[in-house]
Amino acid sequence: MTRRQKNDILQGTLALLVLKTLAACGAMHGYAITAHIQSASSDLLRVEEGSLYPALHRMEQDGWVRAEWGTTEKNRQARYYTLTAAGRRQLAREQESWARLTDGVQRVLRYA
Amino acid sequence: MAWYRRFTNLFRSDRHSSELDREMGFHLSERADDLVAAGMPEVEARHEARRRFGNRSVMKERTRDVDVVAWFDALFADIRHAARALRANRGFAIVAVLSLGLGIGANTAIFSLINTVMLKSLPVRHPETLLKVTTGKKGGDYFTNPIWEELRGHPELYAGAFAYSQSRFDLAQGGEVRSVDAEWVSGDYFATLGVPAMLGRTITREDDVRGCPAVVVLSWGLWQNEFGGAQSAIGKTLMVNSHPFTVVGVVDRAFSGMEVGRQTQLYAPICAAPTNGGIPTALDERALWWLSIVIRPAAGATVAQTGARLAALTPGVMAATLPLNWSTEDKASYLKRPLVVAPAANGFSDLRVEYAGALRVLMVVVALVLLIACANVANLLLARATVRQHEAAIRLALGAGRGRLIRLMLTEAMLLSLCGAALGVLFATWGARLLMGFLTEGDDGTWLNLALDRRVLAFTMVTAVTSGVLFGLAPAWRSAQADPQAALKAQGRSVVGRSRRGIGWALVAGQVALSFVLLTSAGLLLNSFRNLSTTHAGFQRSGVLLVNTELSDTSVAIPSVILERLRALPGVRSAAFSTMTPLGGSGEFGVVAVDGTPSTVRTGIQSAINHISANYFTTIGTRVLRGRDVSPADDATSPLVALVSESLARELFGATDPIGKRLRGRTPTEVIGVVEDSRFSSLRDSTGGMVYMPAAQDPRPVTDFTLELRSDVPPASLITGVKSIMPSISPTASLEFTTLSDQVARSLSRDRLLAILATFFGGLALLLALIGLYGTMSYNVARRKNEIGIRIALGAARERLIRMVIGEVGVVVLAGLGVGALLALVATRLVASFLFGLSASDPLTWVGSAGVLLGVALLAGVAPAWRAARMNPMTALREE
Repeated sequence: MTRRQKNDILQGTLALLVLKTLAACGAMHGYAITAHIQSASSDLLRVEEGSLYPALHRMEQDGWVRAEWGTTEKNRQARYYTLTAAGRRQLAREQESWARLTDGVQRVLRYA
Repeated sequence: MAWYRRFTNLFRSDRHSSELDREMGFHLSERADDLVAAGMPEVEARHEARRRFGNRSVMKERTRDVDVVAWFDALFADIRHAARALRANRGFAIVAVLSLGLGIGANTAIFSLINTVMLKSLPVRHPETLLKVTTGKKGGDYFTNPIWEELRGHPELYAGAFAYSQSRFDLAQGGEVRSVDAEWVSGDYFATLGVPAMLGRTITREDDVRGCPAVVVLSWGLWQNEFGGAQSAIGKTLMVNSHPFTVVGVVDRAFSGMEVGRQTQLYAPICAAPTNGGIPTALDERALWWLSIVIRPAAGATVAQTGARLAALTPGVMAATLPLNWSTEDKASYLKRPLVVAPAANGFSDLRVEYAGALRVLMVVVALVLLIACANVANLLLARATVRQHEAAIRLALGAGRGRLIRLMLTEAMLLSLCGAALGVLFATWGARLLMGFLTEGDDGTWLNLALDRRVLAFTMVTAVTSGVLFGLAPAWRSAQADPQAALKAQGRSVVGRSRRGIGWALVAGQVALSFVLLTSAGLLLNSFRNLSTTHAGFQRSGVLLVNTELSDTSVAIPSVILERLRALPGVRSAAFSTMTPLGGSGEFGVVAVDGTPSTVRTGIQSAINHISANYFTTIGTRVLRGRDVSPADDATSPLVALVSESLARELFGATDPIGKRLRGRTPTEVIGVVEDSRFSSLRDSTGGMVYMPAAQDPRPVTDFTLELRSDVPPASLITGVKSIMPSISPTASLEFTTLSDQVARSLSRDRLLAILATFFGGLALLLALIGLYGTMSYNVARRKNEIGIRIALGAARERLIRMVIGEVGVVVLAGLGVGALLALVATRLVASFLFGLSASDPLTWVGSAGVLLGVALLAGVAPAWRAARMNPMTALREE
């Protein structure tokens, strides 16, 4: 059993975060995505690194992202991910359902 | 995720996993760099990076596509589980696989015949572009040589074109014939087809000129048989039709001619036909339709364009080849004949024309048999699913998805149907050879290449998978419907309600319905065949030996000398000869008219003309109704006489007495007698107008005739006697032996095929339905043990129990019969065109089939009902 930490990303939201990151910053490699999510959330969220790549590959197969090999500024070979049109639509869907979820949770917390 | 993704992933996994390695490597180096920048020593940083990433190879597995691995693992687990389940229940597995094997095997066998006879392309270059020339939908495929030569003279029409004529050549020089299939071919035959010679050369354009020398190309088989496959065969002489032919080559082994169903052994140029055993006037005769024409369109031309070009040429071609001595009406209709093109990729075939309809009917029949088999297996699986409800409930309770459960059951069904398919292919290879026996009956040279090809195997696979889904779906659905709570509470007791049981009964009713359709159709075909076999055809078919004789000696006296010697043979009751025999397949036709009618108007009647010897009618068994038979005194010196058949007499003379009347001719012919009608072209054809003339009065020498010998001993035993007599009279005469009853049987081979196979499959359907009924009833009685035990304990009479059980099955069978009758109304229309002497709604057949089915149902019901009645209430109740 893995130790669950407070800043582990809620299951199912990883895709949303990755999509949002790619939508905001354009082409990125996996490491940069991890770094971006961490810094954008002011270190509140930490991507479990091992699960990022399975997620990225599944998203690629679902046609949400496209991947290409490129070279980083440190002259290393890295796989760069970009958002596709389908990915953009998926992002909109996930954003909406996230909003609904948080709204619902908020309401419950308010009245309970 | 789409399933194909999984497969592509699986196959490119090597490349994929090295990409992943690179990507993860990159990630680790980046992380290490950052850690070093934050002040960590390098070695430690690398360890820390790896630690944070987690287990690399597990990640890799997960990344490579978690689903693929899981999916395949589950599949193999399912297959293993299904195999184990089937092994544990061997009786069930054997019955299921056997009935599926029979069903799938029957389908594969019939389909492989259909494939060979109707679908396969010729083994030539680009068969799909070949077109045959025909004279429209209803017209024939045959043309005269003048028409072919005209068409050949329009090279703008084609990139290649050839004509050919299917024939039989005799390799024996006198005595009993040794005939082989052969083709007269035009010069571009092999070049157009793209068929090479494997030794020597093929026939070329240079071989096909008027007055050409007789050359011949051999098939691989004939080359082996006649020359032992020796290279030195080229240049040797082969006697064909008693004429010397020079062997110039051996054709590619895969090629067996244009005719599907024949194995052509010899190819000779058309131009050699007139002088080498063909018809002497063949090349210039404008009314001799003997050539098939095939063209390959000019480069870039479509079928439609080629058809249009041909249509534009047609009037010119027809005008140039008009038969000059025809009547004005005939000439006008000749000029109006269209020439059209049709695909020729799968060659020509008389067999196809003859059997296409019958094969289609059989395909439907075997499909129905397979459906019945599927229903049986579905029923067995349903019963098993009920028994295994408890197991299913536990699986569901432990968190298995219903989809997963359905998949498990479907895997079991697929495994069954694939085993059935494997068995079916075995049955089919053996069954197809048996079927071939029907088609090639009497060794008339019919030959089919029935090797199972990819198309047949694909068909079998599709059939197997379809039937697997068909019989697997309902049981799978049922087990997934299991309610875990109810099932577990029931502690393994059966929990099936009334509606669920309904599926099983519906399947049985369906089986009864389909069996009824098959039985009725089979009954109709069988009765029709019996009618054909016993119908009085105007001659006595048994006890007659036929000897097809061809004399190269034209001395007129020979036939009568032969007859005299044959009559002296022991066992011969009477002997005669004629130019036509019943169902012999060839004949002479002409217009017959009453003397005195003007010959310019069409007053005549188209009729067959048979030239006969004395005693013909007594030998063949045709009754002379009025007047007298031909006598030996009716010879070249006496006045011309003739007998006419009953129907022709009626058409020519109406109600007046025909005896003494005269028929039109150069010298009028006196009608001396009327004989009963006999069927010459087919047993179904009762419109047999026929004129019989004494052969001795024919001005042409009779060289091609059939000897008829009626005997008290089995006719085939006379063959040696005939063979020993003939050389002393005419050593070069070629002889071919058969019996009249064989000749009749050959003409019925299609009907026999249909009747026997329909009956066989009808019986199979009945057997499957019987198994289905019995199984369902036994299962039901076993399931209701408790209820029946209570009834007995409460004092129900055993007769009542029997009535209850039988009544239950009776309702199902009657419902099935009702549906079956409706289906049969449609289905019997399919076989209507094959029937003789009865209609598709023949009440006797219908009632008979229903009776047989009811009897079988009763048979299936008796044992379970008896078991219910004999049940000991104490044991039945204690078991619960």
